[in-house]
Amino acid sequence: MSFARQALQVGLSSRIRLSPTLASAAIRSAVAQRRLLHSTRCAHASLPKDDTEHYTESLHSDMKLLHGRYQETPLYADLNSKEYVQKFKSGERALDKAVHLFFLTEIMRGMWIVIENFFRPPYTIMYPFEKGPLSPRFRGEHALRRYPSGEERCIACKLCEAICPAQAITIESEPRLDGSRRTTKYDIDMTKCIYCGFCQEACPVDAIVETQNQEFSTETREELLYNKEKLLANGDRAEAEIAANLHADHVYR
Amino acid sequence: MFARKFQCTTTSLFRARNTFRTFGTTSPEEYCRDFVQKHDYEAYLIAQFWPRELRGGYFALKAFSTELAMIQDNISNATIGKMRMQFWKDAVKAIGTGNPPRHPIAQALYQASLQANLPTYHFKRIIDARDAELQVPVHLTVDSLTAHSESTSSSLLYLLLSLLSLPSSTLSHAASHLGAAQTFTTLIRALPFHAKNRRMVIPSEITAKHGVVQEDVFRSGPAVQGIDDAVYEFATLANDHLDTARNMLKEGVPQAAMPVFLAGVPVSSILKQLEKVNFDAFDSRVQIRDWKLPWMIWKGYYRRAF
Repeated sequence: MSFARQALQVGLSSRIRLSPTLASAAIRSAVAQRRLLHSTRCAHASLPKDDTEHYTESLHSDMKLLHGRYQETPLYADLNSKEYVQKFKSGERALDKAVHLFFLTEIMRGMWIVIENFFRPPYTIMYPFEKGPLSPRFRGEHALRRYPSGEERCIACKLCEAICPAQAITIESEPRLDGSRRTTKYDIDMTKCIYCGFCQEACPVDAIVETQNQEFSTETREELLYNKEKLLANGDRAEAEIAANLHADHVYR
Repeated sequence: MFARKFQCTTTSLFRARNTFRTFGTTSPEEYCRDFVQKHDYEAYLIAQFWPRELRGGYFALKAFSTELAMIQDNISNATIGKMRMQFWKDAVKAIGTGNPPRHPIAQALYQASLQANLPTYHFKRIIDARDAELQVPVHLTVDSLTAHSESTSSSLLYLLLSLLSLPSSTLSHAASHLGAAQTFTTLIRALPFHAKNRRMVIPSEITAKHGVVQEDVFRSGPAVQGIDDAVYEFATLANDHLDTARNMLKEGVPQAAMPVFLAGVPVSSILKQLEKVNFDAFDSRVQIRDWKLPWMIWKGYYRRAF
């Protein structure tokens, strides 16, 4: 705390010391001059090496010049030079500052956070038993839906197969005896799927959907090659949830 | 005694089945009715004034237009939307040849097309307009928006008139103006929704006139300078169309055509509500359906006015 205040004082006093209009104008013009291309080091790169000292002295930090902190002190001056060391000779020692800052306030602030959190409910949840919130638009495991009559919705239009960017969907279809086209094979390779949700968006009958389920890890790769039976079973399991999540909106056009 | 008891159980069973019907239905007509009830409740209220034998067709047509209108809100890129539009184009063609796809709405439309002569041209026009809207959801001029509304809302009203077998040029002309009014009010009502999705539904012509910065509308909504003036001008256009339609049918709408023109009742109800809140489209009172609406529709039907 005391350190911060000291710094503030320095800043203020130095500003007061400079007469505001004249000095700042002079500094600004100096800064402007230093920013000119011909006065930078690069422009003089071809000059002989014995001039180095001269050029290091001309390098200043513009911001510090503006605030008048180090008026004519070069940025890359010799750190062991006398006037540089002189500034830290008097006043508080670095160790004292560290003790004030870290040992007292830091420890107390840290302890306060500990006490605060002691009275707060825990952030963690008991994962397999408790679950975090999921958006109704969450895209998880796939499912094929049915109409309440039990008839499957999918009409084998193959739009999902066409739009799938990962080409994870394979459909084969043939007409049934009653004249309707139905899929005989509807496979999704869940190892290829990138869960973009395009199949769901493309489906004109809302047959293929991505459910909220994200926990379908398996022991073997083959179990992730879903067929139609598996997808329909998923749909039957999650129907209520899917129906509630679909079309939460109204017509706006 | 026995028989009565049996009857009771069957009715209760039937009721139980009805309560389970929330997630969709068996027959195409029931599917369309539930769909309209869920997504366009005002149209569902009007359905009560349709002749019972044509109600299935009404629900089919309404569900068709609602489904097409909602596609844009359910997709993330235009290609997917185009594919779905193509599905509907093929479906309309297939309905014409008597082989509709196994989509409940397509099947209900097919059944309606057996009852009345529904010109395929109007279906195509609706689909094409929605398809074009996928690419360019905003309109620069009022004229282009009017043309769009003519292809969507008005075309649907023409189809409904054909469903009632009422080919009359006066009625069609009035319906075209009513369609424009319908689209404009729907857009004003949906302004907060579209602003949330970074779309400005009021034609740029109008917003530019009142110096509305579209980006500010998306960010700060009702607080933006001039937005209520723009809404006022847009609503005035809608009201003009509604009045034109009313003036054309000054001596009372024919009772047979009344079910179609009842669509004007919710439009005027929304416009009145807008006037009450001083054309602040972001006011929640505009979003909520007026509770007196069923009564107003009933009254409109018997007074033969909208």
